[in-house]
Amino acid sequence: MIFLLGWLAIVPTYTTPLLLASIGLILCERAGVLNLGAEGLMALGAMTAAITILAGYSPIVGFLAGGLAAMALSLVFGLAVVVFRAEQTLAGLATVAIGLGLTGTIGRPFVQKTFSGLPDFYALFGLRGAEAWVRLVGHQDAITLLAPVAALAAWWWLYRTRPGLKLRAVGENPAAADIAGTDVQKTQLGAVLFSGLLCGLGGAYLTVAVSHVWVENMIAARGWIAIALVIFARWSPARAILGAVVFGSADALVPRLQAIGADVPVYLMMMLPYALTLLVLFLTALRGRGSGEPQALGATYLRQDKQ
Amino acid sequence: MSNGFLSATLLRRQHAGRLRPVLSNLAGLAFGITVSSAILIAAGVPADALIDEFLVATFLTSDGLAQTVTAAGPLILVGLASAIAMRIRFWNIGVEGQMWAGAIAATFVAIHQVGPEATRLPLGLVLAFAGGALWIWPMLVMKVRFGINEVITTLLSGNLAFLLVQHLLFGVWRDPASSFPISIEFPPASQFAMLGWGQVHTGIILCLAVAVVAWLLMEFSTLGYFATAIGFSRKVAAETGLPVRRITTALVLASGGLAGLAGGLVLSGTQHRLSQTLSGGYLFSAIVAAYLARSNPLGVVVTAVALAAVYTASDVLKVFYSVSEAVIVLVQGVVLMSILVAQFFTQFSIHLPDRPKQRGR
Repeated sequence: MIFLLGWLAIVPTYTTPLLLASIGLILCERAGVLNLGAEGLMALGAMTAAITILAGYSPIVGFLAGGLAAMALSLVFGLAVVVFRAEQTLAGLATVAIGLGLTGTIGRPFVQKTFSGLPDFYALFGLRGAEAWVRLVGHQDAITLLAPVAALAAWWWLYRTRPGLKLRAVGENPAAADIAGTDVQKTQLGAVLFSGLLCGLGGAYLTVAVSHVWVENMIAARGWIAIALVIFARWSPARAILGAVVFGSADALVPRLQAIGADVPVYLMMMLPYALTLLVLFLTALRGRGSGEPQALGATYLRQDKQ
Repeated sequence: MSNGFLSATLLRRQHAGRLRPVLSNLAGLAFGITVSSAILIAAGVPADALIDEFLVATFLTSDGLAQTVTAAGPLILVGLASAIAMRIRFWNIGVEGQMWAGAIAATFVAIHQVGPEATRLPLGLVLAFAGGALWIWPMLVMKVRFGINEVITTLLSGNLAFLLVQHLLFGVWRDPASSFPISIEFPPASQFAMLGWGQVHTGIILCLAVAVVAWLLMEFSTLGYFATAIGFSRKVAAETGLPVRRITTALVLASGGLAGLAGGLVLSGTQHRLSQTLSGGYLFSAIVAAYLARSNPLGVVVTAVALAAVYTASDVLKVFYSVSEAVIVLVQGVVLMSILVAQFFTQFSIHLPDRPKQRGR
């Protein structure tokens, strides 16, 4: 029971970075751009946030700085694929390399330096005691509450507003959207920048609210899991909440099992999030294709190429 | 007619000509190298030391060249692994995972002394190849049978392989005589013979031979011809009646196998034991080597040697200028991105809109 409570209490903190990143990635893919750079963008966000806070700024400023830094890197990716029509898969991988390379090069002097990050509700409201609700509430923070709201807002924007409709049209049939007067390139570039911002915020959350320290490789493939999450969520920001909870729960299980000293092989247990991701991808595919993937995802659009 | 917010019209070039691709690639490479140099200078490497460290120390001194040649071996193999999969547009992003799988197989043969001494090394390498192929196999099935994006699956399978190595190193395979998580040293029968020049070993001959075989297969055989057709359009290839699935299976398993072989090579050639590193990161190296070589196996040898020089140089930079080895990954990312963008000038011709001419001047 105590184990269950401890686990449930930390699930939201493991869910939030995945959810933030996947909201951005869903909107980006809905505009037809496959952004595989998430891992690098999250790393850059996480490192920038840590450096900003270590420089004396508040955790919120650090959090936002992380988002903006990743957004700047996503501009490079966006220009490459949207304006220069570079191959999206390879450009995404190049973005991962640049993100990981930058964080390794710039962040080296800041590794392992702890700071006081975003206060959780224990600290913020002066919660005390060992009651179940105190533990469940105390471990949360403002961003864990805002992330699902952001997901619902993204869903509403995508399905209930005109700009959302236009963005979906660009991802499904750019030629038709073009004829209808939507600027395909502007829409796609905007979507890429948004995904950069949210991946950066997701990464920043890890340092600002969870670890309170920057360590190389701390993203640990969460960017890739977020990309898998998009498929699981069938490109819907609302369903991404459920997906993020599933993956976040698996992620949160590892430190909890370690904490109670369960007699399970540590490294095999650490495989859980990755193995689960592969399994979920497999099960999602089993359920059948036509899973909501945007028709023009990954395709380069040229006005002259109309079918 | 405008094309988005940049009011220029793009036309696909039907024939890029001979010179244009070469020029735009060179321009892309030059741009990438310039940006990378600027980054290195910003990181604290003096500008006049760059040429010294990247050219003189890596190719023109005996020690440096030996180190470059040693590092080139596994890079050639992972570059080939990436290249032959790229030919059929299968993105094998999990070469590191397959290397670990190959390393596990090679370690098993070495420390359990499987088979007679004479065949110990070849057996280890064959099993390393098999280990790599086995590691990519589920991802292949998921791709061809269920259409699951192989970029994500091959990458995540790499994390699984690395954790499996950790499990073994902190468990049954840990050298009891060491305080580090490493296996016992490979017996001599499982090691490549040294050539008496730095750390260069006979494995480099194997790598070059593999590259030549791959070149003959990919450029001159029916298999290579079909593979190119599949890469061009899977659908058209299938409709023409080519054995698309058989060729995909063969090439993807070979891709995983070559990466596995690279893992065996690193252990039997230079490290001589399983540890938590394979002497550097290979994920992006493999992609860059394959892409720059346009998936041509002999081209991969050239790009792999060039990348090996960057590895050698980074060792120096790390020691003398305390620049993190992550700078290699950064340089690879910048160069790859530049060259990807440079393709634009090969693929399209740009037509700026006619502006109304001003009269009366």
